[in-house]
Amino acid sequence: MTSRVDPKVKEEVQRFGARDLSLCFNCGTCTATCPLSAEGPSFPRKIIHLLQVGLREELLSSPEPWLCYYCGECSTSCPREANPGETMMSARRWLIASYDCTGISRKIYTSRVWEWGLIAAASLLVVLLFAIFHGPIVTDRVALNTFAPVEWISLADHVAALFALSILGTNALRMARSILGKNGVSPLAFVRALPVFFVNLFTQKRWKECGESQREWILHLLLVASYVGMMVIIIFFLSWFQTDEIHPFFHPQRLVGYAIAAIMMVVPILFMRGRVRRDKEIHRFSHPTDWTFLILLFLIALTGILVHVFRISGMPEATYAAYVIHLAVDAPWVLVIVPFGKWTHIVYRPFALYLLAVKEYSLREAVEGQPETA
Amino acid sequence: MEGKVGVFICHCGGNISDYVDVEKVKEAISGLPGVVVSTTTMFACSDAAQQEIIDSIEDEGLDGIVVASCSPKLHLHTFRGVAARAGLNPYRYVHVNIREQCSWAHRKDRDAATEKAVALIRAGVARALRSESLERFRVETRPSVLVVGAGISGLRSALALSEMGLSVTIVEREEEPGGFFRKVRNAYPGGLDGREVVDSLLSEVAARENITLFTGAQVVEKKGTVGDFQVKIRVSDGSTVTLLVGAVLLATGFEPYEPAPGEFGFGHPRVVRLPEFLELLDGGRGMSLLKDGDTVAFIYCVGSRGTKGCEEARPGDYCSRYCCGAAVHTACRLAEVFPGVSQYHLFRDMRTYGKLEALYEEASREGAVFLRFPGDSPPAVVPDGERLLVRSKDTLLGGEEVEIAADLVVLVTGMVPRENSGLVEVFKVPVGRDGFFNEVHPKLRPVETVIDGVFIVGAGQGPKTAQEAVASALAGSAKCASLLLKGYVELEPFVAEVDRDLCEWCGECEKVCPYGAIRQVHCEGKEVAEIVPALCKGGGSCVPACPKGAIDLAGFRDSQIRAMIDALAGGGA
Repeated sequence: MTSRVDPKVKEEVQRFGARDLSLCFNCGTCTATCPLSAEGPSFPRKIIHLLQVGLREELLSSPEPWLCYYCGECSTSCPREANPGETMMSARRWLIASYDCTGISRKIYTSRVWEWGLIAAASLLVVLLFAIFHGPIVTDRVALNTFAPVEWISLADHVAALFALSILGTNALRMARSILGKNGVSPLAFVRALPVFFVNLFTQKRWKECGESQREWILHLLLVASYVGMMVIIIFFLSWFQTDEIHPFFHPQRLVGYAIAAIMMVVPILFMRGRVRRDKEIHRFSHPTDWTFLILLFLIALTGILVHVFRISGMPEATYAAYVIHLAVDAPWVLVIVPFGKWTHIVYRPFALYLLAVKEYSLREAVEGQPETA
Repeated sequence: MEGKVGVFICHCGGNISDYVDVEKVKEAISGLPGVVVSTTTMFACSDAAQQEIIDSIEDEGLDGIVVASCSPKLHLHTFRGVAARAGLNPYRYVHVNIREQCSWAHRKDRDAATEKAVALIRAGVARALRSESLERFRVETRPSVLVVGAGISGLRSALALSEMGLSVTIVEREEEPGGFFRKVRNAYPGGLDGREVVDSLLSEVAARENITLFTGAQVVEKKGTVGDFQVKIRVSDGSTVTLLVGAVLLATGFEPYEPAPGEFGFGHPRVVRLPEFLELLDGGRGMSLLKDGDTVAFIYCVGSRGTKGCEEARPGDYCSRYCCGAAVHTACRLAEVFPGVSQYHLFRDMRTYGKLEALYEEASREGAVFLRFPGDSPPAVVPDGERLLVRSKDTLLGGEEVEIAADLVVLVTGMVPRENSGLVEVFKVPVGRDGFFNEVHPKLRPVETVIDGVFIVGAGQGPKTAQEAVASALAGSAKCASLLLKGYVELEPFVAEVDRDLCEWCGECEKVCPYGAIRQVHCEGKEVAEIVPALCKGGGSCVPACPKGAIDLAGFRDSQIRAMIDALAGGGA
């Protein structure tokens, strides 16, 4: 099959951070040093080449960018200092934008005005909704569930989650169509490969094989576990979590809350410190959206803690205000970052592995099926 | 045969003696008639061993010597010198190669290697016994040089020769001197203007009293020999001028490969060769050809390395050396003039050797995209409306085909030699399969030809960059000067001789002589062949060509060769 080159791809991906793409002369040192390149002779070299040449369709149908966890060995050993690791990172940003049917991802990644404009809009929406629909403001005690009734908040959570999920689902389908292509895929394979998706979604176990240090993987796992846990609580068990009654310290509600809050405060601080110090390859280059991601995560935890502190201190007005601010930080996360921003990689990474598994199962079925039909 | 011969068999450390039983060889040889000395030595070329040979010659009164050792390419002259120092004519020395031809070739069979060494030395002894004393002969030289071609190589040679006190005549076929480099507007490094470079050379040439430049002129005839050529040229007004020169320097240069019609789309108005593209780009006319957002595809190796763009194409088998560098330099220029134009470079192998590598890096930094195609499957160019579709296999994608919609295709054409058949005819210089002049030795004698006194410099000898062409021009000038400033030349005495009693001029010998060393003369009432010693290379092709057996070659006489064959076959020496 002949593929048409598109000179614009290179320019595009450069806007997503791949500043040194032109420097690569395809020597393959990146492949030689990559701890994950065992499967083939062309990872990550081939992706860099496709980006340089501008083979858009090939790129959209390549799962490889999602298989890289950025240990940075390639960037350290690159004789041209072309930073292949950062190029792979940029490829992921570009792919997120390319799979997004709304075009919003592209705006977020390439324009700070759009990014912060959307974040501000989501925050403003929360403030506006509270201004119009808030419940009675009780000032003699902290009555958060009167100010913001759980069922209303829960409804809003479900709407927001549904929105994020539908966007993510649509874009993931687009990704699947590109990667699976027109070749016949057996329906059974979709089912058989499902464990691959869930195991990788929750463990990111492939990352363990990337690079010598497992610190990043463990921190990342903790962070993901805590905020996925928090999301599950908020969406399905909000009435258990958001209570006016103050439980004793060792009540599971408080312990879970503290654990999650601590992780969501500390890990982003560690990551931000790394990005300031640039002490690891993975932290040497920071796209503005990387900062947004960490800052929002940190603010969510911080404002959540503030709500809790004001609540147990018996400060009604401060609690309500903090609660509005907390949701005004939450909303951009769920409405912007999760469906359109960096968060999508949480889904795309295991999904790419899932699609590879689907392909493999289909192939295996075709091979196994042959003797029976013959 | 009478005479006394000494045989010296070399161990060459162990290079020979590890595989050839040199003691056995010594014994076998010592009994041969005429052999008065047969000895072995650890290193025949060592000072001590050389002195022993000299002592033997003097003590035994030897008439000839044989050293059985390495290749004559290594030590023939060493042992000729030994003979001369002992007062023996150097041409009575015979070299036998028992290293390359015995020990190295037959490592696994000591007996056979030993037997072969004995046979070869026996033949050497037979020849030494029949060897004769020969003298090198001298030819006076004229302190003047003819330079053919007024490109950058020819002009630079002329100035160098003039500086060394030789008078120079430059003959240029074109009306305007300067050659290919005159058309280059922007040469790497430093953006040199070829016209300025050529103009400065020309003004210097004009200022020299001992340089004459003829343009629109051609060489039509050459007579004479090294040191004393008479060359006839036809000048622009049609008249002929005869030049008397001691040496000739051919600096005829190259021209860009002309693709066959349709080769890589050649003939389409938007398919241009690199030199024309550069003229457009540097001449400012490229402005109308391209606009922002356009795509330019460069196809490398057009006309080089056997890359065939179509059936009718006749590319050279060689690498043209300058094109990769010129193309990446063009990429940088294009990026400078048209930052908004996308560039795709389809190459076979990137040969930006030496300092040119920096340009390759710059070009890729400027955003030029490089795609490697397999040599046996070059890209195809298909017109598609206003644009051209360039389809190329990409080796990095496992040979998958990619397609580039180009607004302009630049063919990075290689070098082909100028049409020089007339000149080749006149000077009898050998030409390789690819049409470039052939040197004597590709490494050690790169500017000399088998015709003494005729030198080849610049891109006429093979593809070169301007810098390399000038380097070879200066090398050629130095060789010219070292030949002519001495005032005479000494030539090897291996010259054919005609027996005038037997010769009945039939012309066969003249036909086969590649050096034009045989001419017909009238002598004692009949036509006979005469050898011009200064032209004769001792090639020997005339000897078997003569139906009367009237020609013999000094140093390689029939009688000597026959005796060697007999000795090899086991007969007596």
